[in-house]
Amino acid sequence: MSELVNTRELTPGMQIVLVDGAVAEIVSNPLDGVWVFARYLSSPVDPAIVGSEEMIFAQDIAAVRRER
Amino acid sequence: MAAAGYRKGLVDLSKGQISREIFVNDEIYAQEQERLFACAWLFVGHESQIPNPGDFFVSGMGEESVILCRDRPTGQARGLKAHGEIHVFLNSCRHRGMKVCRYDEGNTPVFTCPYHGWSYGADGKLVGVPYFREAYHSKLDRSQWGLVEVAQLCNYKGAIWATWDPTAPSFHEYLGDFARYLDLTLDSWDGGEGGIEVLGGIQKWLIPCNWKFPAENFCGDSYHNISHRSVDLVGIGPSGSGRRDMRERQMARRLQVSFYERGHQTGVYVLPHGQPTPPAYAHSPVVSEYFAHCEEQRRKKHGEWGRVIGSPGEVFPNIALHPRQPRTIAVWQPRGAHQTECWRWYFVDKAAPQEVKNFLRDYYIRYSGPAGMTEQDDMENWNYAHAASRGVIARRHPYSYEQGQGYEIANYEFEGLRIPGTVMDITEAKSSEHNLRNLYRRWSDFMEARSWDELASWRRADQDHDIVRAAE
Repeated sequence: MSELVNTRELTPGMQIVLVDGAVAEIVSNPLDGVWVFARYLSSPVDPAIVGSEEMIFAQDIAAVRRER
Repeated sequence: MAAAGYRKGLVDLSKGQISREIFVNDEIYAQEQERLFACAWLFVGHESQIPNPGDFFVSGMGEESVILCRDRPTGQARGLKAHGEIHVFLNSCRHRGMKVCRYDEGNTPVFTCPYHGWSYGADGKLVGVPYFREAYHSKLDRSQWGLVEVAQLCNYKGAIWATWDPTAPSFHEYLGDFARYLDLTLDSWDGGEGGIEVLGGIQKWLIPCNWKFPAENFCGDSYHNISHRSVDLVGIGPSGSGRRDMRERQMARRLQVSFYERGHQTGVYVLPHGQPTPPAYAHSPVVSEYFAHCEEQRRKKHGEWGRVIGSPGEVFPNIALHPRQPRTIAVWQPRGAHQTECWRWYFVDKAAPQEVKNFLRDYYIRYSGPAGMTEQDDMENWNYAHAASRGVIARRHPYSYEQGQGYEIANYEFEGLRIPGTVMDITEAKSSEHNLRNLYRRWSDFMEARSWDELASWRRADQDHDIVRAAE
């Protein structure tokens, strides 16, 4: 089981892996512990959203991507 | 038997008597929330508390927690409104009601509900809904679920006012000519438009009494000065004696001014024609010089109106003005029939030297707030008066508000200066309950009215006037 991500530690530029397999880059973090703003880098489920910026819900974040 | 709720006769101004029920009755308190606080204009804060986009201050309107905030300019609005627009929102998530902001003040890109995670921008729009695609199948109409915004908002000289009632008159109409007296608190000391800022944080504290006890006190109840005799003996004033500088007051006419149709009232002092304002703030040469210069400028800017010196007053229903020594606004937030949360804002001139601001900070907190010596005296009176009025026997006996009845003057003038409002000259009489009666006159208007058509009685007078003119 992967380690629970503390969203308050996510800073701009870090990459996160979402539960649906998408990868996104943090753009900004309001530090509310619930949401981060991120840009999609890849999405196996919905390739059309790659490049778009969205608010990502903390429960949808599976892991921090350590290596590129 | 205790009465159930509000009824005519509890405020009997023909006798100058007011029933204790209106202070201690829980049902009347509940009726006030609907009939007063959901309809009237209320003070929310000052623009200097939220200078930057994303800044917020959590305030109160009656029992409601509200967020005063400045949004972030986006897209095409960026060039036009570089500082962002000011909003006032109900601090309650549209999904299950949790507070979306639990801080007193700060800066944020979003207000996020900690319960289920709904998130709102500083413009109130719902921007984040967890599992929007999965659980709502992307069908929730987010445009319909933004934060609840006040019906009307007014930035008057930097002070932010709001009402929940879309049918209420504009704030300017709500004030009427009382604006000239409110300006004595909101303009800078030299008379410049709205040149003040909030000093330090907002003091908030709870007291065990009905909100109308402090409200009537600040309408201009000077009869209770005996309560402050100990403070006067200590000499907390800015020149080291009394609690204020008194020379300007001693040479002036002392008036109480009421606006019958609006419910606002204040005390004022009017200097004789040609009489310069005497020096004050003798404890600090820098501060004394600053205020002497400001007074000179104010008199030049305002001409004869510059002879008017502010004294405590009240914007209906629960906003207390303290325009001069010290300069503050207090809001008496209702927290049940038997409890009030006092919120006090302190003001200084934005452009004042730091030494002046520091001096005033020390003076203000000696005088006002939970640690201020004068306000402590007041709280003793309000709290014990409330407690002693709750019993079955006590509630059978009304309070007396008879001072000065029948001595009101409609078109008061002093040495060529006309004073707007209905005036009671208490220079010789020493005291009057004229302004206090006005508060309860308007309070009962609100408790009995079914709409703003009834409350805006000045409009009918204007219409009558128009009909007479047309007939002529």
